[in-house]
Amino acid sequence: MNVRAPDTPGARRPSVSRAPRRPWSGLAGAPAAVVLMVLAGVVAEVGAAAAWWAPDVLPAPSDLLPAAARIAGSPRFWQDALRTGAELLLSCVFGVVAGLGLGVAFWKAPGAGRVFEPYLVSFYAVPLVLFYPIAIVLIGINQWSVVVLASIMTAIPMTLNTWTGLRAIPPVYLRLAASIGCSRSQTLFRVALPAAAPYVVAGLRLGVAYALIGTVAMEFTTAQAGLGYQVRYLYESFDAVGMYAYILVIVAVSVLLTAVLEIAERLLPRGRDT
Amino acid sequence: MSSPGTGVVLDDVRVEFRSSGRDGPVVAVDGITQEIPAGGFVSVVGPSGCGKSTLLSVIAGLRAATSGSVRINGRTVTGPDRDVGVMFQEDSVLPWKNVTDNVRFPLQIARVPRAGRPRLGPGHRPGRAAARRRIAQRAQEAIDLVGLGGFERRYPAELSGGMRQRVALARTLAMRPSVLLMDEPFAALDQQTRLLLGAEVRRIWGETHQTVLFVTHDISEAILLSQQVWVMSYRPGTILDVVDVDLPADRDASVVSTPRFNALHNRIWERLRTEAMRGFAQENRFPA
Ligand SMILES: Nc1ncnc2c1ncn2[C@@H]1O[C@H](COP(=O)(O)OP(=O)(O)O)[C@@H](O)[C@H]1O
Ligand SMILES: [Mg+2]
Repeated sequence: MNVRAPDTPGARRPSVSRAPRRPWSGLAGAPAAVVLMVLAGVVAEVGAAAAWWAPDVLPAPSDLLPAAARIAGSPRFWQDALRTGAELLLSCVFGVVAGLGLGVAFWKAPGAGRVFEPYLVSFYAVPLVLFYPIAIVLIGINQWSVVVLASIMTAIPMTLNTWTGLRAIPPVYLRLAASIGCSRSQTLFRVALPAAAPYVVAGLRLGVAYALIGTVAMEFTTAQAGLGYQVRYLYESFDAVGMYAYILVIVAVSVLLTAVLEIAERLLPRGRDT
Repeated sequence: MSSPGTGVVLDDVRVEFRSSGRDGPVVAVDGITQEIPAGGFVSVVGPSGCGKSTLLSVIAGLRAATSGSVRINGRTVTGPDRDVGVMFQEDSVLPWKNVTDNVRFPLQIARVPRAGRPRLGPGHRPGRAAARRRIAQRAQEAIDLVGLGGFERRYPAELSGGMRQRVALARTLAMRPSVLLMDEPFAALDQQTRLLLGAEVRRIWGETHQTVLFVTHDISEAILLSQQVWVMSYRPGTILDVVDVDLPADRDASVVSTPRFNALHNRIWERLRTEAMRGFAQENRFPA
């Protein structure tokens, strides 16, 4: 039957191949990543010691790690981390809720969906960070201009993926829901959204990644605080060691987020492979 | 065997689809007036596209008829009813639930059997645990009835197509509907599995005495299972012939070699052959 998803450009197909339900399996990549990092550290150390490059370009890890430890102990770092973390969390929450809501609304009102789809899809390709100056003018130089834009960046993939996932559910699931007397909300929450879950989670992963990129990038350009701001500040004050230490922290946060989301995805009930 | 007004009564049921094509509206079901007595087992056979699924979804209350009416146990159908169980042609087992949770699902939605006492306040619902137990028990009975015992924790992806249809059957039976509507439930399965599951359905019907409407395009399956076969025509979908199956009630697959079975088969096939040809000719009138 015609259960194929209508192709929405930009919406990601979920990465489904999770027959066995072991959340940690497939994270075998983690040790490999650690090995690779250690290797890169050794190369950086040797390179710095042999003066293959100036210490400002890439400081030796033996300088970097103590600096990172010192930074981690400073209250300023925690202020910045807290601010970035709060921005990230708020953007994710707002973006995910808005994206879910819009995705469901477009599914229920296909007419509205068809009207907005081209805009959504083209917004996908627009570097929304460029609207940051406008957000600053409208909202001011504070965390809210960052949160608003990062929320929009999160909401777009969430909307598209939720919508695509809902359109992809086999129609017979909805007839089943009707035949056993599901209410509208039971149909949505107990049948439609679980059936669309692989798409929704794929959208969530994209959305969180976009929120992180957006938040750090906007802090980097114009802000008075935050991890991204610190990277820029230290860069402008020629503190390469401090800058790399902050970059290291941001990378660590993003790796951690990705891992958490991956585990969450694996915890979804299995057996969606058709 | 049945009192008047019980069972399923179709009164001049007609369903049109307004199509944008050149043919004008498609009349999928055209003025069908028939009756299934309570506890009766009727099969509908017809060429594909003749309106079998449409007729069934009207009886199930999932689609409104363009005109005419359906009465089930004396009540006019206006929408889905928990007393009417439906088994769909497509695989409708929910892949994110294991066997037990799939079978429990409609019971949870219906909260059947209802906890009798009213709620006394937030967090204080004396009927809840008892209701959960009853749901679990009912689901287990249905699982055992269809021979799925031991597979309770399995997920649909781990089951064969035949097992998945057993899950769908158990899910439908768990509601203990008095009317069972089955839309080519085994059409996608291999011949052996289909025979096996058909026999199961017949055995279960022998125990529960539900009113069954079984849609199929397999003449042998229709004769083997039912008390009466309705032969349906292609566009407009009407009942061409009603064939009473006068085979022994405790028949098994071996009756296919009896002369009586052959006579019934030939009668239905003669009716269907011209219809199938007509349908084929119409579908292929405008080659793409
Ligand atoms: N939603 C619909 N819109 C338009 N035409 C439909 C729709 N559903 C079914 N039809 C048409 O009605 C006819 C009967 O369909 P159906 O009841 O599914 O047949 P069967 O189950 O016997 O194969 C077919 O010709 C089909 O094209
Ligand atoms: Mg059909």
